This record gives sequence, C-alpha cells and structure tokens, in this order.
Amino acid sequence: MNSMLPSYLTMAAILFCIGLYGALVKRNAIVVLLSLELMLNAVNLNLIAFSKYGVVPSLTGQIFSLFTITVAAAEAAIGVAILIALFRSRGTVNVDEFNKMRR
Amino acid sequence: MDIYSQTAWLIPLFPLAAFLVLMALGRGYRRAGVFIGSVGSLAAFILSLIIVIDRLGANSVDYNYAFDWIVIGDYTLRIGFEVTNLTALMLTVVTLVSFLVNVYSAGYMKKDERITVYYGYVALFTFSMLGLVLSDNLLSLYIFWELVGVCSFLLIGFWFTLPKARAAAKKAFIVTRIGDAGLLLGILLLFWYMPDHALDFTRIQSVFAGHSGSIANGVTTLIALLIFAGAVGKSGQFPLHVWLPDAMEGPTPISALIHAATMVAAGVFLVARTYDIFLASAAAMETIAYIGGFTAIFAATIALAQNDIKRILAYSTVSQLGYMMMALGLGSLTGGIFHLFTHAFFKALLFLGAGSIIHAVHTQNIKEMGGLGSKMRLTAWTFGIGALALSGIPPLSGFWSKDLILTIALEQNPLLFAASLAAAFCTALYMSRLFFLVFTGKPTAAASKAKESPISMTVPLIVLAILAIVSGFVETPWNGWFGSWLSGEEEAAHGSSFAIIASILVGFLGIYTGWIWYGKESSRRSAVADKSPGLVKLLERGYFVDDLYAAVFVKPLKAMGDVLTFFDVHVIGGIVRIVGAAAISTGRTAARLQNGQVQTYSVTAVIGLVIIVAAIALRRFLS
Amino acid sequence: MFNIAFTGEFVAFFVLSVIMICGAVLMISLEKVVHMVISMAAVFLGLAGMFVLLEAEFVAFVQVLIYAGAVSILMIFGIMMTKHQQEEREKAKPLHETLAAVGALSLFGILFYAIRTTTFPEPTPFQGSHDNTMAIGELLYTGYVIPFELLSVLLTVAFIGAIVLAKKGADE
Repeated sequence: MNSMLPSYLTMAAILFCIGLYGALVKRNAIVVLLSLELMLNAVNLNLIAFSKYGVVPSLTGQIFSLFTITVAAAEAAIGVAILIALFRSRGTVNVDEFNKMRR
Repeated sequence: MDIYSQTAWLIPLFPLAAFLVLMALGRGYRRAGVFIGSVGSLAAFILSLIIVIDRLGANSVDYNYAFDWIVIGDYTLRIGFEVTNLTALMLTVVTLVSFLVNVYSAGYMKKDERITVYYGYVALFTFSMLGLVLSDNLLSLYIFWELVGVCSFLLIGFWFTLPKARAAAKKAFIVTRIGDAGLLLGILLLFWYMPDHALDFTRIQSVFAGHSGSIANGVTTLIALLIFAGAVGKSGQFPLHVWLPDAMEGPTPISALIHAATMVAAGVFLVARTYDIFLASAAAMETIAYIGGFTAIFAATIALAQNDIKRILAYSTVSQLGYMMMALGLGSLTGGIFHLFTHAFFKALLFLGAGSIIHAVHTQNIKEMGGLGSKMRLTAWTFGIGALALSGIPPLSGFWSKDLILTIALEQNPLLFAASLAAAFCTALYMSRLFFLVFTGKPTAAASKAKESPISMTVPLIVLAILAIVSGFVETPWNGWFGSWLSGEEEAAHGSSFAIIASILVGFLGIYTGWIWYGKESSRRSAVADKSPGLVKLLERGYFVDDLYAAVFVKPLKAMGDVLTFFDVHVIGGIVRIVGAAAISTGRTAARLQNGQVQTYSVTAVIGLVIIVAAIALRRFLS
Repeated sequence: MFNIAFTGEFVAFFVLSVIMICGAVLMISLEKVVHMVISMAAVFLGLAGMFVLLEAEFVAFVQVLIYAGAVSILMIFGIMMTKHQQEEREKAKPLHETLAAVGALSLFGILFYAIRTTTFPEPTPFQGSHDNTMAIGELLYTGYVIPFELLSVLLTVAFIGAIVLAKKGADE
C-alpha cells in the first residue's frame, strides 16, 4: 500500500518554509506572529501525520499536537500583549525599528 | 693561617655592594658616587692585600670552599671559590689597579654627566673580574667571563652618543663572542669527557696531571684549543685582536683597567688556570706558543706606524699579551704570569699617563703633541718610567719579566726567540717614538696651553710608577722566588747571560733608533714615512686585517642580513599585515551584522543551520 | 511521480493542500494586514480538514476553535489596538530578502530530499478508535495528566502575563 506519509510531510515542509520566510522578511510584527503560527501548524501536521502513518500509530501524536496548540495560543496572546506594549512606548510595530539590542 | 683566605668570598662583594648602591642612587649623587666606588674597591684591595701577605709564607695551602648548586639526578654541580697563590696574586693586581683607576677617574671623568653610572659600571666590572678570578670551576668562571665581557661592552660604549664608540662596543662584543663560543664548546666537551662530569679546577688538575689516559689525546688537544679560543678572543690574540685597538674609544681609565691590566689578562689567566689540560697536549702548547709569538711581533710592528696615542698602547698591549701566551705555550707558567703581573702595572701606568696627556691637550694624535715634557713634568717622568719598563730596560720591572720569557724562548725555540727579540726591538722603538714625539721638541698649538693634571690623577701615576720600578724584583735570574711561590715547586733560578745581554742591547738599540728618527729636531716628524710610504701605510692599517675581515665576513653577513630583513619586512611582515587586515575586516563585517535587528540575526542563524545540515548531508552523500 | 493511487483521501488531500498553499502564499504577499489574517484563517481551516483526513477529529475541532477562531480574532484585535496604517511600507532590503529566501528554499530542499530518500517502514494499520474524543480524553486524564495540569498553569500564567503587559502602558 502506498503511504500518504511523504505527501503530508512535504506539505508540512512547504508550510514551514513559507512561515520561515515570512518570519524572516516581514516588517509588520503582527505578520511575523502569524508566520510563527504557520510554522507551528506545520509541526502539528507532522505530528498528526505520524500519529496515523508512523511505525507505531497511536494517539500520542494527537495529544502532543493538542499541547502544541495550547502553547501556541498562549504564545499568540503574550505576543500580541507585548506588541501592544511596544506600540504604546514606540509608536510603531515595525520590526526593523526595534533595534535596541544594538547597544 | 687560612683564616684570611676563608674570607676571600667577601672581596667581590665590596664592589658588588658599591655597584648596587650606585645604581640605586642614580645620577644625582656625583661626589657620593665617586666616594662609594673608590671605597668599595679600596676595601677589596685591602682584604686582597691581607690575603696575599698572609700567603707569602712558604707552603701555604690552597683553600677551597664549595657547595651544591644544582643537583640533577646523580649529578651534582658544585660551585664555590678557591684561593691559590695565583688567584691571590690576581686579586691583588685587579683590586689595586681598580682602586687606582677609581681615584684617577675622579679627576678624569669629573665633568662627565653620567659619572655615577660610570662608577657603577666600573664597580660591576671589578666584581665580575674578582668573581672570575675566585671561581673554582669552569662554569662559574664562564659566567663571570661573560659578565666581564658585558661590562667591557658597556664601558667601551660609554659615550654611546659617538657613532665610533657604539661601533667599537659592538665590534668588541661580537669579536670576543667568537672566542667565547669556542670556550663554551670546550667547557661542554670537558663536561662530557670528565669523570663524574666535574668542572672544578682541582679535579681537572688531578685528571690531566695524572696522565691517567682517561681522556684521549685528540680530545685533550681539542678541549685545550677550544679553551684557548676563548683566551684568544678575550686577550686579543691574532686573529681576534681587531677589537682591542677599537676598544680605545672608551674612556682612557677604562682602557687602563679593562683593556690593559685586567680583563685582557683574563685570557692568560684562563690558560694558566687550566694549565694542566694544556700540559697534557703538546700540539696545543705549540699552537699557543706560535700564536703568541706571532701576535707579539705582528702587533709590535703595527704599533710602529700608529698615530693615535691610545692605539699605539693598545697594539702594544696585544703584543705584550702575545709574549705572555708565548711563555705559557713554551711551558713556563711563571714567565706568563710574571709578565702579566708586571705588565699590569706599567701598562696601566702608560694608559693613565696617556689619559693625563689627553686630558690636557684634548687630542689623541701624537703628531699634534710635542714639547709636553716641560709643561707636565710629573706625567712625563712617570710616563717615561712606564715606557722604559715596557721597553725592557733594566732594572725596571718589564726587563725582568721579558728577560725571563726570552730566556725560555732561547732554551726551547730559537725561531720564537728571534721573533720575540725583534718584537722587543719594535717595542723599544715605538715607545721611544711615542715619548719623543709627545714630550720633546717644540710645543704645538694644542700643547702650549697644556697644564699638569689634578692631584687625583697624578697620585695613581706615581704609585704605579713605583710599582713599575720595583715589581720586577720578585723574580730575577738569580732569585726564583716568584716562580716557586706561584707553582709551589722549587724552580731553579735560570739565567742565560746571552739572553740578558741580547735583550738589553735590543732595548737600547730600539731607543737609540727612536732617538735618531724622532728625537732630533732635524729628522722629526714624517722622516720615515717619506722613505717608504707603502710600508707605513700597510702598518698604519694594521696589515689590512680589518679590511680583510670586512670583505670576507662582515659584508657577506650584512648582505645575508639584508636579504633576511627584506624577507622579514615584506614576506613575514606582509603576512602579518594581511592577517591583521583580515581580522579587522572580519570584525567590521561582524559588527555590521550586529545591527540590533532580530530578523538579521535569524537569517544568519537559518543560513548557518542550512550550511550545517547541508554539510552533514553532503558527507553522507559522498561516503 | 508520487506513485499514488487516486483514492478519495488523495483527492481530498490535493484540494486541501492547494487551498492551504494558496492561503500561505497570499498571507505572505498581500498588502493589507487584515487580508493577511483572513488568508491565514483559510490555511487554518484547510489544516483542520487535513486533520479530519488523518482521523484526528478532535484535534481538527480544536484547530478550528483555537486557530481559526481565537488566534485569528486575537490578531485582528492586535491590529486594531495598534492602529495600523494597514499597509506595509516596504523599504527595500534586497540582500536580506534574498538571503532569507535562499535560506528557506535550501532548507526546504534539504527537507524534501530527506523525505524523498527515506524509506518509511510499512505502518501497522491504524486502529482509529471508535470515539476519537473519548479516547483522547481518557489518555489526557490518565497517562498525560501531569503535562495537562502543567499546561493549565502555563495558560494561567500567560493569561495573567498578557493582561499585565497590555495594561502597564495604558496606566501611564
């Protein structure tokens, strides 16, 4: 039987790389956050795919993806909160203007 | 009776303490500096005198004290000091001349800005020389030997603002170094072949004097010749004599102390100290004798044509050192050391006298002097005594010691006897030339304003003049006291009436010739030079030995050095600059990366990750 | 080239993946931030569909709720709160973008190469449980109860933290 596993993995890789590119290039901090979510989703897809087509299929993969989703939700909430705080203090959400680390 | 000898280790400590105090004081304390330096050497002299008087009695025992210095496995290196009659004599000579030079320098160097430094160097030199004399083994002797060389370097180059003085200092250092390398090799060879690797003189004596055959003859000769190489360098024997005349760029008292009386005699002393090695090798003895004899006549002829008063004396020193070496090579320890003893006094006297003259007329060229006899009576008298002693006129000290050497040469080797006789003639001739040109005749412009030197300079002259007269009486053809005291054996008083008569005749003949050529007003000045300019030129330039060395050794070495410098500057330096530039540009690039933007960092991280993963994948792919 | 039989799963997978890739690419390339969020929601929904295909119904449900719902709304709130100029003023940073593209592409290349060359072992058939939600619930409260509780703590902390962070500036 031909497994669908490689197809899912490829799909996840595509999503991950698009997310990576977005996180690296986009100036708007919100878009960067979105791209991060995309990357996390790609990981979820991998987990779920392996939970069905892995060597020992089990529900563990799904449980893990649930945890990931939870953490991602928390991360999104914190991220937006930080963005709002940053916007208040600096008046912008452009990533390339956040260069305090230089000094 | 050994009580005094046991305290001999104190002697070098006086000048050392003086040196340390002087260095600590700095340049400000000019009078104190003079005082401290003089007191240090005076104390050393008094103690040495006590020791030597104490040892004057018959059968005094050598005193040796040593302690473990380095213990490596089974091997123990012991160092210490040893007092024998020879070292006691050397101690006295060194400290006496050092003290007199200290006193003399108080006048001579009075106006020099760095007089305290000068006294410090002199004190350090005195310490090193005394340490050299007292050493009981070759290793510590070598250490002091080098230390003496350093002091010589420092003092020749004392007026380091003068280019000639700098060059002379470097030359002296490098040329003596050639000999020192030989000495070091000799010591190492000795260390290798000696039973128990012992280096102390007592053991060396017992091994070699016993002819036990534990060391092969060829090796013995090699060791002897290597040690002699060190002596050649230090004592200015041919072919390493070239540094000594140039060393006259240093202050005149230094020439008297280091380059006439003490340091240059260290070579003779070294050979005398390790004499048993030489006695065990006939070939080495012969080499020493011929080199010494050749140097004696060679340097004496050069001295005939020099015009610089100090260079004349320097070549004279080389020549007299040749006599000493020849005597040692002919098997007469007494002859060599006796001549060293008397020479130390009259040559120091001559140098100090020359210093007094230079101090008065501010020139070293004897052609610009003349008629000084009436202006500087004391200097003229003492200098005359020194010149007569050097020329070997009885009953002055130089006569007795030179006569002893001539007698030995006559007994052993007629060729060397002839050479030394010729050298004696030249000696008398150049000394009379020097004396007549400087002290007689009409005063020149420079000489007309001359005044007698201050008392601090004349007193040492008088003391040395007295010693130059009397010091010869310790060993006369009918009294072998000095020799038996020195070597511990009863030596038959030997005298050859032929040698005595020949040496007296030659001495007077030389002076008479000098009087004919230079003493009379009519034939004064360049009478001889007009007759044979080529010969004079040859002698003036010292047989072109310096030019030969410059062409054969110095220039090729310099060219090689230039090549290496080029390589260093352009290749190595270039690489260094490239590396530096690379580091700087890397740093600049890296600094540009640090722009504080998280995304830039992330891109870098991602690319790094890709490179690492790709490398791993590629390795798998390739293997 | 994939040697895949045209099963129902494959067709559904193909459609969903087209939707998701389109959504992702649009998210990257659109100009208005709100549009980006909407296209992102499409990706989330497509992913939920894929989860269904993979017999993970509960995760698909959670995906729709949290991502397509909560996270998207959160982002839109974020956009509103930061009074966006809606448009991205793109300053040209060609070197940076090229490098990022090269990095992402080569990473994908490596991943793809790895996926293609790995031979995955034949899986034992997946015993899709009768009631997916039930099974997950049982696992969560038995084997994974400690991580589950820890996560609840994390959520609480994040919740308080978000409020503190967002409120701090407002007081001034």
